[in-house]
Amino acid sequence: MILLLYALCAVLALVLIAVSRTHRQLNSIAVGLGLFFCAITGYILLYIPVPVETFTVGSGYFFIDHLGLFEVLIVAVIFVLAAIYARGYVENLLASRELETGSLKIFYATWCLLELVIVLAFYSDNLALFWILAEMTTIMSAMLVAILSAKENIDAALKYIFVASVAMLIAFVGLIFLFEIARSTLGTGTLNWTILMQHASAFPPGMLIAAFTLIFIGFAAKSGIFPFHTWLPEAHAKAPSAVSAVLSGVLLNVGIYGIIRVFAIVHQTPAFTSITPLILLFGIFSIAIAAFSMLPEKNLKKLIAFSSIENMGILLVGLAIATPLAIFWVIFHVMAHSFTKASLFLSAGILHRQYRSHLSADAPDDIRDVFRFQPLAAWGLIIGGLAIIGMPPFMVFFSKFFILFSLGSVSPLVLALVLVIIFIATAALGYFVITAFTRTTPPGEPVDLVPYQTPISMKVPIVILLALILVLGILFPAAGSSFIDHIVTELMFS
Amino acid sequence: MTDPEFFNGIIKVLFVCVIITAAYIITTKNLISLVRAYALQSLALVLIALSLYWYEGAGILLAIAGITLIFKVIVIPYFISNVQEKIRIKRDIEFHFLSPTSSLLISLALMLLVYITLSRIVGINAVTGSAESPFFFGAVIGISLLLMGMMVTFSRKKAITKVLGYLSMENGVLLFGLFVTELPFIIEFLIIIDLVILILLTTILTVGIDSTLEEYHNRLHRFYLWEEQEESP
Repeated sequence: MILLLYALCAVLALVLIAVSRTHRQLNSIAVGLGLFFCAITGYILLYIPVPVETFTVGSGYFFIDHLGLFEVLIVAVIFVLAAIYARGYVENLLASRELETGSLKIFYATWCLLELVIVLAFYSDNLALFWILAEMTTIMSAMLVAILSAKENIDAALKYIFVASVAMLIAFVGLIFLFEIARSTLGTGTLNWTILMQHASAFPPGMLIAAFTLIFIGFAAKSGIFPFHTWLPEAHAKAPSAVSAVLSGVLLNVGIYGIIRVFAIVHQTPAFTSITPLILLFGIFSIAIAAFSMLPEKNLKKLIAFSSIENMGILLVGLAIATPLAIFWVIFHVMAHSFTKASLFLSAGILHRQYRSHLSADAPDDIRDVFRFQPLAAWGLIIGGLAIIGMPPFMVFFSKFFILFSLGSVSPLVLALVLVIIFIATAALGYFVITAFTRTTPPGEPVDLVPYQTPISMKVPIVILLALILVLGILFPAAGSSFIDHIVTELMFS
Repeated sequence: MTDPEFFNGIIKVLFVCVIITAAYIITTKNLISLVRAYALQSLALVLIALSLYWYEGAGILLAIAGITLIFKVIVIPYFISNVQEKIRIKRDIEFHFLSPTSSLLISLALMLLVYITLSRIVGINAVTGSAESPFFFGAVIGISLLLMGMMVTFSRKKAITKVLGYLSMENGVLLFGLFVTELPFIIEFLIIIDLVILILLTTILTVGIDSTLEEYHNRLHRFYLWEEQEESP
């Protein structure tokens, strides 16, 4: 019944949004909803033994297992911080007439609905239900991208919807295949993940490969894997930064989550050996395409968006190795990437407010005198950037290190290739930061910039996220690693 | 009652209807008849579901026919043509990469490819029976429809035509699902709901992209899609 609690909170939030009048109230509701979700998730984490099969409708549409809970934990944390950040950010959007006052309620209502839909998606046991909820997340998040009154935003949102939904339809054909496989082996057709996992070893490999490939196409588009990544830089760069953080930190996980779930089914059959080269190939291509697109990139938010594609590629590479160690660090990397990337987008949002071009959203940001105007955002970007490229002792270092380490034991040649590409991506990020941040106006010349007064509500989330990735990197609690061990066991990788 | 020969005949006629409408959607430049072709295609799907019901007798098929009739034959085409009338776009003559003739040829090739691929998969596993049965043809046409819709989505320029391509893809998935297996009704129903929301949103956004932005907000006001609220920030 605990899932009803989530839904009730969200409905309550929607009602409150309908009656509230000012932006502050609306924002407080969004923050409050995030906090409630955090509290419920924390309660489940501490007091309820997972996995639980609650709120069963018919053949068990929802359940809570360790992986779902883990993802929801990330969702809850990022949504709270992004909502706090939105207080200052949206205020500024309103002041600069980029967001209409009339669309404020739609913005926050969609925000709350998106949060609910993502949580339900991570808790759904039935793969078809998960597919539907994932589609819903596409719709909601596209709305959040399109909410700004600019033609580029509508363009980016439409591109996002079309690429993601078209691919998701292909995934649905794959799900029909999977359903038919289950029906021909079990007698009754089902898309229930727990049941599929129990009987996976009896499934015919040939059909399973076809089903997996189709499903993979859909969820790969959802998480911006090459060659379906084209929507990602546009949507992430054009969205308001609070939304970008959510898109990159949470929504990309939805696609990867789907891939992990279906891969866990395939992993138990002989079909798995012909699937892994496919995943590895797409992973490496994603890293490569991201790295080479990052090199000439002049727009900060697009650069960070491409870095997301790179990290999704790394996750796929880790998944393809499929040893318990690699899967452990894939799960860890999901969390590490989400927090780090959210902090980067939030910092970039401040710089975007300060230096954004008033002519076009596609123009490169003219970043100058960054330490004088926005020292916190600059340091946030430097530290976050160091973290995302995998500097110790941040979280990403450990996951990247162990994923690459496992890759080395599979094939040293591929490892060398991946290392070179990752190095290019790192160099691109470093190059951008160094050239942009060292650009200063010579003393004596007039500075025509009005410093943007960054509200405290925009600074706090960045500091919290950076502290989080540092602390969790240095001392990851033993309970945490045993929790991830549970996930790996439940996915039957060990 | 259930005479297989007669059933085969009817199903084949309906398949031809589906293919003709799909070909029409690929080639036509007239947006109004595009929507009509889509409605017709959905109607053919309803009839297919009904004749399947008559043949198999599963109640769920009746339910699927019902919701398809309500949403895909009536509600969505009505909504889209309504919007089209308001934004006064009559023709989409911009083809991105493909001319109508070459897209027809490509879709023929696609059908052949799907036929060969599916018959290989089915041949290995023998799930749907012999390759001559209407069930196998249904699956082939479903997938082909999906690919043809995808071609429309990626080769046309106007967003509203892309929406119709997407809708046609969804019809393909439905057709495939009808002939290959029986999904639980709640899933089918949720998919329709999902589709309706998606279409609503994309059409509203399309109004913005297919016209100039200055008029966009005025139009939204005219549709009563956007509420103006005076608030003290």
